[in-house]
Amino acid sequence: MSIEAINEQLLRAIGVGVALLDRKTLKFNFHNDTFEEWFGNPDETTTLQDMFAELDIDELNAGLRENRRFTTETKFKKKRRTMVIALDFTAAHEKQREIAVLVCQNITRIRELESMIDSYSTMVERNTREIKREKEQVEKLLLNLMPRSVYEEYKTFGVVTPQLYDPVSVLMLDFIGFSEKVTTLDPGVTVTELNDIYSAFDRIGEQFGCERIKTVGDAYVTVAGVPDPTPDHAKSVANAAIRFVRYLERRNASHPHQWQCRIGLATGSVIGSVVGIQKYVYDIFGPAVHLATQLQNFSSPMEISVQDEMARSLNDLFEMTDQGARMIPGFSEQPVWRLLDNRKTPAGRAV
Amino acid sequence: MMSERTLFEKYGGFSKVSKIVMAFYDTLLDSDDIGPFFDDIDMSRMVDHQTKFISSVLGGPASYSDNQLRQFHTHLKIEDAHFNELKTVLEATLVDHGFDPDDILAVMQAIETRRNLVVG
Repeated sequence: MSIEAINEQLLRAIGVGVALLDRKTLKFNFHNDTFEEWFGNPDETTTLQDMFAELDIDELNAGLRENRRFTTETKFKKKRRTMVIALDFTAAHEKQREIAVLVCQNITRIRELESMIDSYSTMVERNTREIKREKEQVEKLLLNLMPRSVYEEYKTFGVVTPQLYDPVSVLMLDFIGFSEKVTTLDPGVTVTELNDIYSAFDRIGEQFGCERIKTVGDAYVTVAGVPDPTPDHAKSVANAAIRFVRYLERRNASHPHQWQCRIGLATGSVIGSVVGIQKYVYDIFGPAVHLATQLQNFSSPMEISVQDEMARSLNDLFEMTDQGARMIPGFSEQPVWRLLDNRKTPAGRAV
Repeated sequence: MMSERTLFEKYGGFSKVSKIVMAFYDTLLDSDDIGPFFDDIDMSRMVDHQTKFISSVLGGPASYSDNQLRQFHTHLKIEDAHFNELKTVLEATLVDHGFDPDDILAVMQAIETRRNLVVG
């Protein structure tokens, strides 16, 4: 067999469609079996346009003239499958005759895979957006449980190193007769009322640079100086305490349910940390917390008790009355002060 | 808490599942029983449909509510025989791709519970 014969046999059998066309008439001189399988059998009178009705002949001629190449695609149905074939024309010479070589590649699978990737990536992208939204929700929840800087540490390292904050000021607040209220009020009403009051406290605290740590039933704990130190920590909690009382007084005047609070303020050191592994919560511990709790117990309804050390730093800014020396468990006997709302004292200066 | 591993993950994620999708797609088109349902459907829509179908069947990133499934099939005259044929074709595809018999059974049962949404 001659080389030419072998070449021709190869050309006929390969899985690529091949056809040779006259450049001028665009009629078929040769086509192989694969071409015939896909597009039928052109005779010597069949033109390219007859076979591919949607083909733009002007575009083809321009492409062959300028680049000596032209590429396009054609589709047809085989049974019910959409076949996609890439048509690649190249200008060539054969014994001084100008011809066009047409090579046809079956790119059906490529197109099908592209469609599948489109479909899959749309699904995955939608899921990614959902996950992102959920993550933001979780972040929002966690930011309600702990200060942002602590959250960032938790996110980065998976743990939070307990930190000593010194000095800070702690405000402890509880409500008189809360246990009785809980048993007499509808639970839904209690929750709504507390939610309302605590939200107001949060807003007031935020205004004065306090970070609410937690609420446990009727106990509300907020602190200034954690996690960011501030020289005004005592002033911050004193201002917040006075506004808490003012807020409750105004609220009681117009609400069916009355709330009487007791507040204790103390300065000192605390340790702040995330406690727990599964049900973690950010909490503070230390002498300042203990002192504020004790002082809160000294308060009569709607009164604010202040620890001696803190009172000294508030002297210039707030009016206080001496309540005498008190024994505080775990501490030495020390004077306790009552913080007054300047706006309400008879000799009061306007604030 | 570890979440349970889906079949989608167990059998190699999308890189493997994509082969199942393509094999299933080929078989469906060749089937003279259920192939005709796809006669006039555009290729990209058909592939999209099969990708989502296989993904959801294996617990991948797609899921359909009962209402959606009913809506998708409501205008088609699908009979029990068609549904059975789809199950047979899918089962054969999963066998070809080395699925454990237990997993195939689980997939078949999951599909069976949706028969009344698709047939009729």
